[in-house]
Amino acid sequence: MESELKSPAADPSTASPEPRPDFIQVKDFNFFYGRKQALFDITMDIPERQVTAFIGPSGCGKSTLLRNFNRMNDLIDGTHHTGDITINGRSIYDPKLEIIALRRSIGMVFQKSNPFPKSIYENIVYSLRIAGRRNRKFLDETVERSLRGAALWDEVKDRLNESALGLSGGQMQRLCIARAIANNPEVLLMDEPCSALDPIATAKVEELIHELKKDFTIVIVTHNMQQATRCSDRTAFFYLGRLIEFDTTEKIFSNPSQKQTEDYITGRFG
Amino acid sequence: MAEGTGRHILGSFDNALETLRNNVLMMGRLAERNLANAAKGLFERDDDPCNIVIADDEEIDTLEIQVDQEGVLILTRFQPVANDLRQVITSMKSSVNIERIADQAVNIARRARKLNAHPELPVIHSLEPMFAHASSMFADALRAYSDNSAEIARGLKARDKELDEMNRQFARTCTERMAGEPDSVRGYLNLIFIARFLERVGDHATNLGEDIVFAVDAEEIRHTQASRTD
Repeated sequence: MESELKSPAADPSTASPEPRPDFIQVKDFNFFYGRKQALFDITMDIPERQVTAFIGPSGCGKSTLLRNFNRMNDLIDGTHHTGDITINGRSIYDPKLEIIALRRSIGMVFQKSNPFPKSIYENIVYSLRIAGRRNRKFLDETVERSLRGAALWDEVKDRLNESALGLSGGQMQRLCIARAIANNPEVLLMDEPCSALDPIATAKVEELIHELKKDFTIVIVTHNMQQATRCSDRTAFFYLGRLIEFDTTEKIFSNPSQKQTEDYITGRFG
Repeated sequence: MAEGTGRHILGSFDNALETLRNNVLMMGRLAERNLANAAKGLFERDDDPCNIVIADDEEIDTLEIQVDQEGVLILTRFQPVANDLRQVITSMKSSVNIERIADQAVNIARRARKLNAHPELPVIHSLEPMFAHASSMFADALRAYSDNSAEIARGLKARDKELDEMNRQFARTCTERMAGEPDSVRGYLNLIFIARFLERVGDHATNLGEDIVFAVDAEEIRHTQASRTD
C-alpha cells in the first residue's frame, strides 16, 4: 500500500516552486447518501497555497464536498460516488493509496473544537505516537512548531502538560489547528471553524489562516460571508448540491456572474 | 452582470437603500431647480431668482452631508456587497457631483446679479443653448440614476465634448468683442466665467454618468480615451 499522496512521477529535485492551480481537482463528481444524491456534477480546480471558501445555504452540499476530500464520508454507510477527486495529481480513490495516509496528509478542523481529553502536549503528538514516532526531541520540536504555527505557543508554552480542556474556546480551536498541522499536511480543511468563537478569537483564527496559507492549501466552509471576503482568495457558491459559481472572492462579492449568487450574497434568499 | 432583483430578506436594508436613493434624487431636483432659477435670473435680468438660488444652496449642502452619513451607516450595518455595494458607493459619489453642480448654479447667480446692474450685453443670449445643453445633460444624468440606466449614462460623455466646444466658441466670441468694447470688459469676463461654470456642470453630469455605469454594469469607464476632454 502506498502511503504517499504525492504524485508518483514527482521528483523533489525538479519540483516546481510555482503553486499548482489545480492542486485539488474535482472532476464530474456526484455523491450519494444511499439513494439520495447530494452533489451533482461538481467540477472545480482548487489552487495550491490559497484559501478557497465554500458558501451556500444550509443543505447545499458544501460540507459534504469538504468531507469527501479526506474521504470522511466513507465512514457513513451507504455512501457512493461517481467522478474523481485528485490531490496533487493523484486520485484520492486510487486503490493503491492508503486511506489513513490520505487523512494524515489532510488536516481537518471542525466547527466545534474537539481537543482530546489529554494534555496540550499530548494532543499535538498523539497522531505521531500512533504512527510510531517516539523520539522525544522530534516530538518536542513538533509541538513547538505546531503551536507556533497556530499562534498559540506563547500562551501555552509554560503549561504544555496541563489539560487541553482548560483552554478557552478560541485557544482550543487554535490547538485543534496546531494538531492538524503537526503532521505537515498539504491540505487544511476547515468546516465553519469560527462559528462558535467570539469576535476576538475569530480575528485571531482568521489572522492565522492568512499566515497558514503560505504553507498549506486551505478550504474553508463558512456561513459568514464577511469572513469569506476577509479570508479567502477564491469562493465557490453552492446551491442544492450544485456548484453555481466559482471565481476570485473579489469577483464573487463585487460583480458575480450568476443571478443566484448575487441574490444569495445580497441576502435576497437563503 | 447578474443584477440583484427582488426585495432583501432584511426589510430595514431595503428601506435604508430607498431612503438613500430618494435623498440623492431630492438633491438632484433641488439642484435642477437652482440651475433653472440661475438661468431665469440671468436671461430675464431678475435678481430675485438669483437670491433664491443662493439661499437654497444650503439645503443641498445639508443633504450632501446626510447622504454621506446614511451611506456610511448602510456600509456599517449591512456590509453590502456586489450590486448593493456599488449602488451605495455611487449614491455617495453622486451627492458630491450634484452638490458641485448646485455650487455652479450659485456661482452663475452671483455673476448674474453683477451683470444685471449694467446694460445688457447682446451676446448673453448666446449662452442660452449652452444652458439648455448643460441642463439637459444634468436632467439625463438624474434620469439615468433614477432608472438605473447605463445606456443613458454612457451617452453623456460625447455630449460633454459638445459643451466643451460651445464654451470655447463663446470665450472666443467674448474675447473678440472685448477688444472693441473696453468699457464692457468686466461684463464680458463675467459671461466668460458663466460659460465656464456651465462647462463644469457638464463635467459633473458626465461624472455622474460614469459612476452610474459602474453601479449598473460594474464597468469602469473613467479616464478612458473616450472620456478625455481637450
